[in-house]
Amino acid sequence: MGERVFITGVGMITAIGDDVQQNLEHLLTARSGLGVTDYVDTIHRNILPVAEVKHSDVELAAMAGLPDNKGYSRTTLLGLVAIQEALRNAGIADPQEVPTGLVNATTVGGMVETERHYFTLTDPAREGEMMPVADLLDCGDCSQRIADTVHIDEFVTTISTACSSSANALMLGARMIKQGLLSRAVCGGTEALTRFTINGFNSLKNTDRQPCRPFDQQRNGLNLGEGAAYLVLESESLVQQRGATVLAELTGYANTNEAFHATSPSPEGDGALAAMGEAIEMGGLTPQDVQYINVHGTATLTNDASEGKALQRLFGKAVPPFSSTKPFTGHTLAAAGAVEAIFAVLAIREQVIFPNLNFSEKMEELDIIPQTTLRHAPIQHVLSNSFGFGGNNASLVISKF
Amino acid sequence: MKFQCYIQSSCAISPQHTFQQDIFSEALQTTDTNMLQAWQPSYAGLIPPNSLRRMSKALKMGLAAASQCLAEGGIANPGAIITGTGKGSLQDMEKFIKDIQTYHETALNPTQFIQSTFNAVNGLIALQQQNTQYNNTFVHRGLSFESALLDALLQLSAGKHHVLLGGFDEVTPDQFQIKSHSGWWKQEKIHSAALLQHLSPGTIAGEGAVFFLLANQPGDHPAASIEGMKLLHKPSSHKLDTALQQFLDEHALQPGHIDLLMSGRNGDSNYQHFYDQVAQALPGIPEVSFKPLCGEYDTAHAFGLWLAAQMIKAGKAPQQWFPAGTVFPKAYRTVLLYNQYYGEQHAFILLKKAL
Repeated sequence: MGERVFITGVGMITAIGDDVQQNLEHLLTARSGLGVTDYVDTIHRNILPVAEVKHSDVELAAMAGLPDNKGYSRTTLLGLVAIQEALRNAGIADPQEVPTGLVNATTVGGMVETERHYFTLTDPAREGEMMPVADLLDCGDCSQRIADTVHIDEFVTTISTACSSSANALMLGARMIKQGLLSRAVCGGTEALTRFTINGFNSLKNTDRQPCRPFDQQRNGLNLGEGAAYLVLESESLVQQRGATVLAELTGYANTNEAFHATSPSPEGDGALAAMGEAIEMGGLTPQDVQYINVHGTATLTNDASEGKALQRLFGKAVPPFSSTKPFTGHTLAAAGAVEAIFAVLAIREQVIFPNLNFSEKMEELDIIPQTTLRHAPIQHVLSNSFGFGGNNASLVISKF
Repeated sequence: MKFQCYIQSSCAISPQHTFQQDIFSEALQTTDTNMLQAWQPSYAGLIPPNSLRRMSKALKMGLAAASQCLAEGGIANPGAIITGTGKGSLQDMEKFIKDIQTYHETALNPTQFIQSTFNAVNGLIALQQQNTQYNNTFVHRGLSFESALLDALLQLSAGKHHVLLGGFDEVTPDQFQIKSHSGWWKQEKIHSAALLQHLSPGTIAGEGAVFFLLANQPGDHPAASIEGMKLLHKPSSHKLDTALQQFLDEHALQPGHIDLLMSGRNGDSNYQHFYDQVAQALPGIPEVSFKPLCGEYDTAHAFGLWLAAQMIKAGKAPQQWFPAGTVFPKAYRTVLLYNQYYGEQHAFILLKKAL
């Protein structure tokens, strides 16, 4: 149905690099971005590892080509750095030359600013006083500012489905292209570390005090990360018309809901199974066609058990090599789907499988273990998973062109 | 692009008595606090008591309106559940921010964090209906609901038979305070029924939850059909005119074919010129505004769409809700909706009587 959708540009910033190349170098040399936060004011600073982008807001603004960071949340600044790289990479100087949309994703918008100013903003004595920071909390704020700065005005929207947000952003962009509403969509997400999310996941007893250990028997939770990632999606006809270089093809995707629990996945991975199965089927593929799975792999007790069961149910005895890259980048929440979609593109380009760091002991309820070392292999199709609160599950299939 | 989209059932919780009430006889609800709060129905029987106790107004309104809409439409499991919310569950977010401060980041209850997630209502609906299909939440200020509607139209066009579409937002004292710093509210306190007569900077706040069950076939009793939508970002005056003209052309409409302009006019002198411009492009077409009924909020357009659909279905307006002297059309076959959000986000929606 509809036109084929190609990935023609990628851009990102995470704790393991300010651009795609730096991210790749860290992945290839097994260097994690986990450490201690310099920018979030929290009592958990020296206890909970996080994967933080080591640039101040002023530095990020300079990297984004802005005179200063005034009026821009960290969420927006991270997004700008990443989207500008994606547009450059796709060879797009003026996004308005063809109808271009921006489908952005975030889980808490400009919370990073709001939480710093909340008690000033809600002081009744100051009602009515003009304060620009009042606008930053809305999730739409970062999208709109990013769109304005890079001159995208045809269509802009924002998705928030927790940890699957940017995977859903990619899907919406692809569907709008296939159904003829746009010929090009820039899709991804941006997420800044906040006291709000650090304490949120910590209150769920979901955070590991050590570097996270996906798919390990001793895993004990996730580490949060921050970053932004965008992919330029274009219709086949636009790619042909402008002679764009194709990095990979988005061949399959699925969004399902688990309808099991507000935050926990079902023990047998029903939702993960459905999302992966439908995405593979949409791509006209069978499970045997997949050579690498970039799993959601948050290293929480429940996710990895549930996702692992789903892998075994879908692939049987022939589960392809899989790894979680969250020990490199932390869990970047709304950005994770796009960060890992770019890793899928890199896996195809470099013909490698990235290692799952910090693994030592097989989970007793599973028969499978992740790929723990860098491995060169022919990669045609990569499956990428993003599963979130609210039962929101998403899977993408990214294929070699 | 044209779509096949028929409203099968709908449900609104709003500052008016709209939930399971006969809107054509219900009295107008007003406020002089500049904050129109939603009339809360009894949630017993709609939400289990254990969950109800922990829920914010946004979650309650959203889940109840969604459940009632599905019950009325006779479809327990639509092919997709798609919502828009500008602010999500604000009460939960506010409480968690305050708890972090009060308890110095220790011994925090995760309930507020979980419920503050913008897709919490979607997750609750899916869980309650045991619905494992497509599920998405849009959070794009004044186009949150419209983005969800666009996704719904795409899903119907790609073959989903039924989609549950919703828009919801709550207002809180904190949020009212915060947005006062952006100049959103009138300085003077006014009577909500006279909102349009008080042209001055700012407007009044509101809230509500509105859900629609949409289908790609007319079914037996469609309330109306959503023919199309046009979204604009910070348009110039010229671009707004051109976009309206193109939108009408796409649907083969002359301005005279429109029975009613349902506008989001809200007494805010900063952005009144947009509404004036659209009204001037549709000379002689009666205009009514839904904002004095629901107040201003990110997903208020959902309430406008709901009201227009009710009027088309009944062939009449709840005239007691509108100021004396309002001119109403003779027939309600074609309604054009226009709403803009603080000058930046603009949307046209075309609604027709389903034949």
